[in-house]
Amino acid sequence: MASFAYKPDDHEAEKASNSYLMSLIAVIAGLPLPIINLIATFIFYMGNRNGTYFVRWHCMQALLSQASLVFINSTGFWWTMSIIFGSATVTNSYLAYIIAAIFFNLIEFVATIYTAVTVRKGVHVSWWFYGDITDLICKPNQYHEKNIFSRF
Amino acid sequence: MKKIFFQGFSLVVLFLAAWFALRQVDWMTFFKVEQATESLEEKLGDLFADIFGKDELYSSDIKAPVDSILTHICTTNGIDRDKIKLHIVANDEVNAFALPDKHLVVFSGLILTAENEAELSGVIGHELAHIQLDHVMKKLVKELGLTVLISMTSGGGGEVIRETAKMLSSTAFDRELEREADIKSVDYMVKADIRPEPFADFLFRLSAKQPDILKNLTWISTHPESKERAEYIIEYSRGRLDGGKPVLGQEAWEALQARLNEL
Repeated sequence: MASFAYKPDDHEAEKASNSYLMSLIAVIAGLPLPIINLIATFIFYMGNRNGTYFVRWHCMQALLSQASLVFINSTGFWWTMSIIFGSATVTNSYLAYIIAAIFFNLIEFVATIYTAVTVRKGVHVSWWFYGDITDLICKPNQYHEKNIFSRF
Repeated sequence: MKKIFFQGFSLVVLFLAAWFALRQVDWMTFFKVEQATESLEEKLGDLFADIFGKDELYSSDIKAPVDSILTHICTTNGIDRDKIKLHIVANDEVNAFALPDKHLVVFSGLILTAENEAELSGVIGHELAHIQLDHVMKKLVKELGLTVLISMTSGGGGEVIRETAKMLSSTAFDRELEREADIKSVDYMVKADIRPEPFADFLFRLSAKQPDILKNLTWISTHPESKERAEYIIEYSRGRLDGGKPVLGQEAWEALQARLNEL
């Protein structure tokens, strides 16, 4: 948990929380096709790119967290495809990879649920690594600064 | 920025370390992957072998000579002979093929078309290579998918089983797998002290046969580019074996062919 530039409104907290829920729904729907998660969170981010800083920030963190899973899941997906349709066979390395991928997906899943719930309460959650990249990419713009200013 | 790179790098290392650590566990045994695969192969092999069973030749004067060639190739190449199930089937087609669970089927038509035991040895070596390199199950999984194969073994689809057996007996593997089996066959023959050139001659001779009799030359018509195959077999085996010893000898070979001609 970290402090944010301002205290978000309830509607901001709801939208920001939804960005994580979006990725969760996408994880469930897109398990066989790992790229779906990334596309879903990207579309949600695009839909909210003119939103408030808090909403944009969390949409971006949700998007980035999906990106790394895409690499892990895509490798597993194509490895599996090459076993089913190609000449590759099930090996110990393959099984270990799939278990490691499931483990990392589970960690991400739990972290996403926790973040969605916490952010819904208006509490800012910055993930290790992903939060720092999000800070670099996502900056408050003039509109939002005005927005922040107008609160006072 | 440095911090982010360090964190990203740590994340990658963490995943790779988790993968490496998990690889130390024998998941194949844990999930009984090998037993499940073997059991599936065994069931499929029995199902397919049954289809050709009605025309199988059990007579020892027919089976014993072919068995001797197979046993010789297996023992000289460190292959467990007991696991290979040889079937000689009365059929005019010039055909031989491998089925799951190490079933090797040779049609009488092929034995009669071969001019000497070395030619037959080449074909046996080729099919043995498909078995040893696990091409049969790979082909089945690729063509039909695991779900269909599993459903076959659980009592479903007699017609599917027949069609699949037909597909296995009448279509070749991928070009790459055929080449791999040809090369492996040459290796087997060299180790078994059998000259590989007759195997290439067999391919050359059959590929040059008239189209009207091609319908009976299944093994050749389904194995494309026979001339090309014969050429690379000759190229690969050049200078690798000069002499070569017969396994059966001319007399036993002629006796086998005479016996088959009586059928």
